[in-house]
Amino acid sequence: MQKELKTRQVCLFLIAFTPIAKLFIMPSVLAGKANEDLWICTLINVVLDFFTIASIIYACKNTDKNLTQLLESSFGKLGAKFIVGIFFIYFILKAILPISEQADYVKLTLYTLKPTVLYFLPFFIVAFYVCTKNLRVLGRSADILWLFTIIGFLILFALSIANIDFGAILPLGANGVKKIIDGSYTTLLWFGDGAYLLFLMGEFKFRKNDGKKIILSFLISSLIVLLFMIIFYGTFTYISHRQRFAFTEISKYTSVINNLGRFDYIGILLILFSNVFALSVPLFFASKSLDYILGFSKKWISPLIVIGIQLFILIFLNEYYASVENFLMSKINWFFLIVGNILPALCVLLTKKESKKQYAIEKI
Amino acid sequence: MQSRKSKFIMLLVLFVFIFFFSNDFGLINVEKTSIITAVAIDYENDEYVVTAQIAVPEATDTNTENQKAQLSGKGATVGEALKDLGDVSGWFPKLSFCNLIILGNSLTDDNVIKAVDYFTKTLRVQDSALIALSEKNAKDLLTLATPLDNISSFALQKIILKNTGFDKDVAQSDVKTFCSDYYSISESSYMPLIKVIPAGESQKSQSSGGGTQNSGGMNPGTSASEQKGDKDNLFDAKTTALFLKGKKVGELDNNLTLIFNMLTSPIKGTVLTVKDMPDKNGEKSNYLLMVMRSIRSVKVKADENDLKVKIKINLYCKITDHTSKNSDYSLSQNIPIPKIVLEKLEKDLTSNIEELIETSKQSGCDFLQLKQKLYRNNYKHYARYKDNYLSVIKPEIKVTVSGQT
Repeated sequence: MQKELKTRQVCLFLIAFTPIAKLFIMPSVLAGKANEDLWICTLINVVLDFFTIASIIYACKNTDKNLTQLLESSFGKLGAKFIVGIFFIYFILKAILPISEQADYVKLTLYTLKPTVLYFLPFFIVAFYVCTKNLRVLGRSADILWLFTIIGFLILFALSIANIDFGAILPLGANGVKKIIDGSYTTLLWFGDGAYLLFLMGEFKFRKNDGKKIILSFLISSLIVLLFMIIFYGTFTYISHRQRFAFTEISKYTSVINNLGRFDYIGILLILFSNVFALSVPLFFASKSLDYILGFSKKWISPLIVIGIQLFILIFLNEYYASVENFLMSKINWFFLIVGNILPALCVLLTKKESKKQYAIEKI
Repeated sequence: MQSRKSKFIMLLVLFVFIFFFSNDFGLINVEKTSIITAVAIDYENDEYVVTAQIAVPEATDTNTENQKAQLSGKGATVGEALKDLGDVSGWFPKLSFCNLIILGNSLTDDNVIKAVDYFTKTLRVQDSALIALSEKNAKDLLTLATPLDNISSFALQKIILKNTGFDKDVAQSDVKTFCSDYYSISESSYMPLIKVIPAGESQKSQSSGGGTQNSGGMNPGTSASEQKGDKDNLFDAKTTALFLKGKKVGELDNNLTLIFNMLTSPIKGTVLTVKDMPDKNGEKSNYLLMVMRSIRSVKVKADENDLKVKIKINLYCKITDHTSKNSDYSLSQNIPIPKIVLEKLEKDLTSNIEELIETSKQSGCDFLQLKQKLYRNNYKHYARYKDNYLSVIKPEIKVTVSGQT
């Protein structure tokens, strides 16, 4: 059977989409928790994600089934729907903060006064379109947008590097284990990228060495995030915790910007463009999960529900943004850890059972 | 069926686009926008007084200059004063192009961060805007006319922001640097202190010759004769104001400011003067040396017994002028520098660095960020020295000046 994605597209998906959402307010949140040790907090979460992704790759070696087929064969249709339902909630919750970060960014940087609620509507139109398509849309957009992401980062890194105080991240670990762990725990919602890979499992032909390629792509995306954390703190040092829109700020202190103007916006806009699709990814998987659970006959119904939920949260809970942020970062971190890291890692157990079954059938 | 669906989608897209583009996007009328180029903040009668210098573009090709205007607003906070400024003028103050923030001397009675912090907390202002302290009233600096530029804030920026090729004689600071130094472990920050100096006769003639284009751009409320009289002012920013926990605790004079810059940034292109050097005939002459390469390091080393600051400066210089009766060389050549000149410069710089450290000790302002260096690189001994580091620290200074010999 023809698979929806190529391994190349899965690799580029990790590079193009997974680092971006981590660059808006997450660095300032981490700086507020662990100061110069923010990159250690990030490293902890990266290691967590690494183990999750490694487990899924191992699972891919054992089975050719996708997630729903695997769950159905182990827990039956009802059990599978229940587990996918948990992931639906996870993707909905995971999307809230990054979307409102991007909306806030657009509002605060492109508008002088408070604009109407419509200003962010185009994003939801694009996201709705993406959600109505099948997995191939993510693969194709990753094929193009990884270049946008990488070029954007290279521009920003090159412009900011002259003004970085690399000594700012010293001494290592001076804030203590408690603060570092707290920082990692608070920012879990931006990680858990293994959940995406779990939904891509079985949707591409897994060949020899594909695991290495996927791990390498994950490491590249993680390196971008880690480097960014160091550059960010090296640029803003003791006022880092106030820099809510970090990645648009780091490059503006270079002398070439003073002389020529903000041409770093080329890099910023490239990344923002990738981010439109990156933000659509959790909505896409939430739509597909809802489709599976409720089995809608029309493919636009579940995207409409998912987009409607996000739009409602963005518009009507905007005034309670601080409470929403607090809820997502402090109250339900355990949920992000379980669904974003532990559940995907556990799927390897199901595939082991699966591979034993397969082995027995082949033997007979 | 397919065609009906496509038509529906087309109509839906059209509806959304009309819906989207028919709103005003929250944008404001450009004619009601004032582009603020500089902000001066003073503290008077328990209120912040914010004066903004506004560039008003003229839609004419006969006058190529921009008019300028000053407006003031008052408030209990800087944010309120800025809002008041908009309310009294009917202009929406656009601060994205504000590249200079001047603090009045009246603010130094209290913690200046109360006024400055606003600019790092809002996205309305670029926190890369230069920051400076006025010797007197900040508002006066913006209202003064100068032959250097039609708009005084642009003249000030020229004085503060020195590009390559100029002497690094101003300890420039921006809002971000000032605030991050304030919140740093050393709690010490600095900014240039701007003094108004009357222009000499040469400047007067220069302004009347080259400044004929500066006849426009009248300050509203100022007569032409007054305007002409004001043109006698120049600015000096070579003195540095030192702050500890946001309060002004001292100053660095011209000489120490240059030495401070030498320790914190490359000073390529800066010229140094060595006076009264005996030449071959025994007569005294002066040398002007240009720094072609500067390497510097300031390191703090701590152990159980000692806390040391190791300062190393390595300069490579070239003669750019020399007072002599009889010269047989061109300055374009890298002519040999007498050893005695290099030694004198090394000695002078060493004593200047000692004086700089002494100033830091006296004022309590750790502008060299020694405490931060202790924290970052000697964390093991941080607790031991953090309360008395300035009094116990021992400087080890090594200055090397080289050139063609």
